[in-house]
Amino acid sequence: MHRVARPVKVLSAFRRFGTKASNGLNGGSKSPTEVPLSEPLPGFPTPIFANVSEKAQQETRVTMLDNGIRVASQPKFGQFATVGIVVDSGSRYEVSYPSGISHFLEKLAFQSTTEFDNRDTIMQYLEKYGGICDCQISRDSAVYAASIETEGSDAVVKLLNEVSRRVTISEGELAGARQAIGFDLEDLNIRHEQEPILTEMIHAAAYRQNTLGLPRLCPPENIAKIDRPLLFTFLSQYYQPSRIVVAGVGVEHDALVKSTEKHFSDKAIWEEDSSLVLPAASKATPDNSTAQYTGGDRRVEKDLSNISMGPTPIPELAHFVLGFESCSHHDEDFIAFCVLNILMGGGGSFSAGGPGKGMYTRLYTNVLNVYHWMYNATAFNHSYSDTGLFCIQASSPPEQASKMVDVLIREFKNMTGPIEKVELDRAKKQLSSMLMMNLESRPVIFEDVARQVLAYGHRKTATQLLEDINNVKEEDLRRVATKMLLSKPSVACLGKLEVFPTYAEIERDLASSVISEKKQRRKLLTFL
Amino acid sequence: MASNLVKLSSSLLRKTLKKPSVARRWKTNQAVSYKQSIINVPETRVSTLSNGFRIATEDSGLPTCTVGLWIDAGSRYENDRNNGVAHFLEHMIFKGTSNRSQEQLELEVENMGAHLNAYTSREQTVYYAKCFSKDLEQSVDILADIIQNSNFGEEEIERERGVILREMQEVETNLQEVVFDHLHASAYQGTPLGRTILGPTENIKSISRKDIVQYIEGHYKAPRIVLAAAGGVNHDQLCKIAEKYFGKIGVTYPGEVPMIQPCRFTGSEIRVRDDDMPLAHIAVAVESVGWTHPDNIPLMIANTIIGSWDRSHGAGVNVASKLGQNVAKLSLCNNFQSFNTCYTDTGLWGVYFVCDRMVIDDFIFNLQHEWMRLCSSVTEFEVERAKNLLKANMLLQLDGTTPICEDIGRQMLCYGRRIPFPELEARIDSVNSEIVRTACTRYIYDRCPAVAGVGPIEALTDYNRLRSGMYWLRW
Repeated sequence: MHRVARPVKVLSAFRRFGTKASNGLNGGSKSPTEVPLSEPLPGFPTPIFANVSEKAQQETRVTMLDNGIRVASQPKFGQFATVGIVVDSGSRYEVSYPSGISHFLEKLAFQSTTEFDNRDTIMQYLEKYGGICDCQISRDSAVYAASIETEGSDAVVKLLNEVSRRVTISEGELAGARQAIGFDLEDLNIRHEQEPILTEMIHAAAYRQNTLGLPRLCPPENIAKIDRPLLFTFLSQYYQPSRIVVAGVGVEHDALVKSTEKHFSDKAIWEEDSSLVLPAASKATPDNSTAQYTGGDRRVEKDLSNISMGPTPIPELAHFVLGFESCSHHDEDFIAFCVLNILMGGGGSFSAGGPGKGMYTRLYTNVLNVYHWMYNATAFNHSYSDTGLFCIQASSPPEQASKMVDVLIREFKNMTGPIEKVELDRAKKQLSSMLMMNLESRPVIFEDVARQVLAYGHRKTATQLLEDINNVKEEDLRRVATKMLLSKPSVACLGKLEVFPTYAEIERDLASSVISEKKQRRKLLTFL
Repeated sequence: MASNLVKLSSSLLRKTLKKPSVARRWKTNQAVSYKQSIINVPETRVSTLSNGFRIATEDSGLPTCTVGLWIDAGSRYENDRNNGVAHFLEHMIFKGTSNRSQEQLELEVENMGAHLNAYTSREQTVYYAKCFSKDLEQSVDILADIIQNSNFGEEEIERERGVILREMQEVETNLQEVVFDHLHASAYQGTPLGRTILGPTENIKSISRKDIVQYIEGHYKAPRIVLAAAGGVNHDQLCKIAEKYFGKIGVTYPGEVPMIQPCRFTGSEIRVRDDDMPLAHIAVAVESVGWTHPDNIPLMIANTIIGSWDRSHGAGVNVASKLGQNVAKLSLCNNFQSFNTCYTDTGLWGVYFVCDRMVIDDFIFNLQHEWMRLCSSVTEFEVERAKNLLKANMLLQLDGTTPICEDIGRQMLCYGRRIPFPELEARIDSVNSEIVRTACTRYIYDRCPAVAGVGPIEALTDYNRLRSGMYWLRW
């Protein structure tokens, strides 16, 4: 209506964005530092771009070297390659050591080695090829990787051998790592985000005092205890060639194999100088114990009433995690658990993102949309080579904590009940798209290749996985859920502890078969 | 085949990219000559519909893709009365159209395994979808529907007020955002860039359906919208789809044609002292340049030289950043990061840091010393390192279809084109320490900074003293 009320004006698309008349001194000879970014550099030739049709999907190639190291590669579009190693190491192997070794190794990664003086020399070495590097050590693996221009791949393999098997760990670096770990723990404590602490607690409850239940974060009392002999002894036990996979994405397989043969043939520093390693441990073999799922209870009293860094208060919350044993990623039920995880979904009651974030997953439709006091509720499936842990993590104001526990118990029991087709199809579709979208990223492909080769010796292709997802049926989910609920519950509580029900009460509620009654209550509550 | 391609291009890369023929170009008067480079990335193709609507794609043939609308409209186009409407609109856009109810829209997206997302900045509004490549048309259909046919129901608007007020609370717990809002409010006081994106509480409570509709009609015009896509996207196919769904978006304005008003920078400070907070959060910035200005390149290099640092990263003093080395040695802060925020015609270049209340003044002293060194005596070695790092960071960011699509959309709005990476590389390569010093002297040396501090900041350096640290008595 108002369109005709006033004279119509047209805004040319090119008024603001178009090319301005060149105001250079003499046209083509302008220095590149004087040409606006909106104009092409005068005389700059169009690059010859790659063409999508020239790209063929190729599968992962794996080669085992004489010394036991496995080398895996995957071709990929792009000017960069990601090359790294995954070591079968991590906090699950720290049983005969003071906990925290892996946390130290992560902080000490990419520091002094026999050939590189310090972290800065390593950075300069990588920067020549436009590279950056990173190390992450989790419960069951240590990943050292660098993303770099493809021509720098050989240089990275050399570096990877240095930082994994030729580290020198100076006293100064050790002191720095101690300090950084102290800061890490301090930051975790004042942060609003409690997830890392809760993950740590639920693992401790599920695998009491063994393997995956051992802390990943260095306990404060161990910061001063961990020293060079302990670190080198651990390295000598676990950083052996047979436990290492070298993987590259966007590199040529034969070249990667050649580089690995060349650079990983050196002796490790602890083989050259046995005085680095504690004498008693030199003959010890790596810990091969299977994770023992125990179930159990872990509660930590913590005052969360004033954790805000600024003037805006963050509401006081009580955090609760309930988990059961799922299965290892070798298990044939693994995919069914992944689908179940997506079906439960969840997230924060207040979270960014539009449709597609899982708005119709059960933890939204049955929990967050119904009980507005719920702050968040999210399902996780942690899977490892020999076991898995399926859990739901939730938080609410302390006053509602016991109701929150009831709701989670009900949702677990409901997993064994009927699942609508549309719900299942949605979960399968979302799992497939999540898988494919994650595989857009080169570092993610790298980790996927390296971890799969470490675990199985080969890589399942995305097509195979998509097919497996497609084959999951309602019975599968109900079967794995029923099996899961037979395991002993694992419980973690954080906050004001008096608001939570006891472990015995939780076990009793799980055992009682009054889902229907609670369902009724849920219907009633929707009207509140 | 693909591995051959990788090999071929890597051997050529070394020859063509690593030895740019533009070296020392600024010293000569002869025409620059560049070698053609071969790169292992697909071309960005751009087309324009008859109404000025643009389509830009990078086809990598993947089974998934990201497609979205980048719109030249943000909070900068608002006034005091409707400040917050661009962001309010972003919230209302997923609430149902004349073709799809909110629930239908949500279920359609969820059942496709796709994701819809939106964000608003001071100069741009973005709506994008991630989906399987085979669902590309359906995603474009949804995007077209929400920006052209949204209902903006009165009831939903009322409900959304509460959600936005809650988001505001959430933003206020992120102190970095709080400090940056204060920094803008101070540096661009009295101009549209000084306002926040969310808008003041009273506007959130009063913005009406009419405001939202007016904003769309006054800004969502074909020449100001780019449909960007990356991943498995065929350009010609997408152009046809775009013609079908966006061909009718108008180019005419109901009233005044909105033009960007220049935003004046004022050297000034805001102090929000709160001694109950554990740490001080502070940003110091000078005025830099707009998106297209060639000086952006040396300023980005200078920005990389200052770098960033965090005490829990464990690198300690062995970092490239001199400032990082000094603060590590003297324990002067928990973390810092340098930034270069660009707008159409202006920008903010500075450092944000978090530190203990007792060391603020020492940190500022070290920071300003570093800034003055950039202006007067930064070395060729540092500049070379920063150039390599900058190039690596820019390239490595383009990992996955969403970052690539974002880069295409943003560049189309900011530069009117997508800069081929070899050109960007040539531009970075042509900078030397002298050019960095000249640019830094132009924008940092003896300039009035804008300062924003939140927390226990009693000891934050007095403005006049801080101002006198912006030059050295050396001549």
